[in-house]
Amino acid sequence: MESFLPVLESAFAPGNLAWILFGVTLGYLVGALPGLGKGTATAVAIPLTFYLSPLAAIAFLVGIAKGSTAGSAVSAILLNTPGEPSSTPTAMAGYPLARAGKAQKALKMGLFASVIGDLFSTMVLILVAQELAEYALGIGPVELTGILAFSMVFIAGLSGRSMIKGLIAGLFGILVSCIGLEVETGSPRLTFGLIELYDGLPLIPVAIGMLALSEMMIQIGQRLRLQEEADLLRGSGLREDRIVTLGDWRRSARAILRGCLIGTGVGILPGLGASVGSFLSYGAERKASGRGADFEETGAIEGVAAAESADNAVVPASFVPLFAIGIPGSVIAAILIGAFTIQGITPGPLLFLENRDLILGVYMSMVAASLFLLLIGYFGQNVFARIVRISPALVMPVVVFLCCLGAYLQGGGAFGIGVMVVFGIIGFFAKKYDFSFVTFLIGFVIGPSFELSLRQTLGLVTDMSELLDHPVALVFAALAVFGVWRLTVLQRRQHEAMVRDQP
Amino acid sequence: MRRAGDRGIWGGLLPKSDLIAGIVLLVFGLAMLVAVIPTQTSEGGDATISPALLPQICAIGIIGLAIMLTLQATGRLRRGVAAGIRVPAAEWWSALAVLLAVAAAIALFVWVSPAVSAAALVVGLMLYMNERRIWLLAGIPATLLVGAWFLFYRVLGTAIG
Repeated sequence: MESFLPVLESAFAPGNLAWILFGVTLGYLVGALPGLGKGTATAVAIPLTFYLSPLAAIAFLVGIAKGSTAGSAVSAILLNTPGEPSSTPTAMAGYPLARAGKAQKALKMGLFASVIGDLFSTMVLILVAQELAEYALGIGPVELTGILAFSMVFIAGLSGRSMIKGLIAGLFGILVSCIGLEVETGSPRLTFGLIELYDGLPLIPVAIGMLALSEMMIQIGQRLRLQEEADLLRGSGLREDRIVTLGDWRRSARAILRGCLIGTGVGILPGLGASVGSFLSYGAERKASGRGADFEETGAIEGVAAAESADNAVVPASFVPLFAIGIPGSVIAAILIGAFTIQGITPGPLLFLENRDLILGVYMSMVAASLFLLLIGYFGQNVFARIVRISPALVMPVVVFLCCLGAYLQGGGAFGIGVMVVFGIIGFFAKKYDFSFVTFLIGFVIGPSFELSLRQTLGLVTDMSELLDHPVALVFAALAVFGVWRLTVLQRRQHEAMVRDQP
Repeated sequence: MRRAGDRGIWGGLLPKSDLIAGIVLLVFGLAMLVAVIPTQTSEGGDATISPALLPQICAIGIIGLAIMLTLQATGRLRRGVAAGIRVPAAEWWSALAVLLAVAAAIALFVWVSPAVSAAALVVGLMLYMNERRIWLLAGIPATLLVGAWFLFYRVLGTAIG
């Protein structure tokens, strides 16, 4: 208990709480703005963390991720413009309510469901991550190679509509991670004589380019539609249309509980992402309610609750594989690896041994962030509802400026901006043509670990029969092969069904 | 199954971005395997495993998958099914505008000053997005520059430029 007190003190120190509050507010603000999501928000905010303590830096970024996930419901409900794909079900069920004058009710239920989902998932993270990390400590390089290969296949197959494209994106990410000095010989590799590339490509400009700049390149082309949606809103004079009644809670309680479970489960599995969680939860509630298409025609408060609880439960749960094994299961987790690296910390099973106080502090900061989320979202609702009407012509140039600033600071000056632009272009093509940028980014982040464990494996296993001494690795290798086959078959069936349904 | 206006794999009206992507990736993978990796990677000397191993595995994987993507897209186009999507012209233009604005900002950064570069980037994009109110065109870049200066120089104690 005595050793726990200093952790409590540092987590709840006014300075740390101020950064969490700032992170949640900033995240909520960015999330509420149409077309901006948590990936953009966290990538752009990374430069601010260079000068913070490790705890404040991680807590700030987690606050942004949580805030922007919850905030994206605001633009989804009010403008029918999800901040990110995972808020699409929220828009489907919530926008009709807003058009019927029940925007405030939908926003409030979205917020409450978000906070409950987020808090539930944070508790699961706290309970599960350390247990998993203790098991992961016994994992050797052969097993790690199998797990990483399986994770890549899993992520590639599930984060887009095409397994082939997902695998290409993942391999491209690993290939790009090979740029720089080679780990064993120290000789330059794929550097084209550029000294700036000797340390490899810097993660933050790559992430800002892939996530934020490419998104701006797309969103600026859609600015007229965003503006038109903002002009369609109207309010209601009835009190029951502005508050969440007991009846609304009764209708939504089951949806929220299911959303918490689905979102947490989806978050723990690498690569599934918040979209899968929110769509699964929304679909399950739509089916269970028996209302069918009525959900999208007249709107459904329980639909908003189902989608938001699952969407927000995914974020903390996606830190389970990051903290326990060091595998980033989502874009946010990949960006957090960058933040950990900046602070000289390596995520993985040793985190709980070498940085126990930090991780406990992060847990407490996450709980504090959940409570701030409730306060900021509830009392700032009217402010955020006005903010979504700000013209994209004022917001998007500012975001591009922040992208350049972040890339400049972390990427070694103008070189960083150049890297950001190159990966902005690649990100634009990846997003438009469904080459999963998530898989690319995760491949880029785990590339060095994968190479190291592969080298150690090839050194340890000189004969194929020696693999029999590593059953865990064999199981994951078999799962990877099975995953490729199964997901390819499923995607082919989906495509054939889609073609059949076309007029 | 075949749609009106479809005239075979290359001549038809169906989107064929997957086919083009497959061919581009195939060329990229071959170029990496044959030209780039051998010239940009050392032999490794006493290293137990060649430094070129992982890049080669990735390039071979990309080549194999690109061939599969190309064949899949060809099959779809032959059946009169779309192989990919068509990106609206507005999004191409906006992408180009953002890239030009950033390129111009880098040039101004190198040859003029960081402040002018940042202001030009923001104002240029605002003008492109049809923002014409002078007080906003002047106020937003000014606020951003002062805010960035205050945050990085005063609060966080670092320097830019």
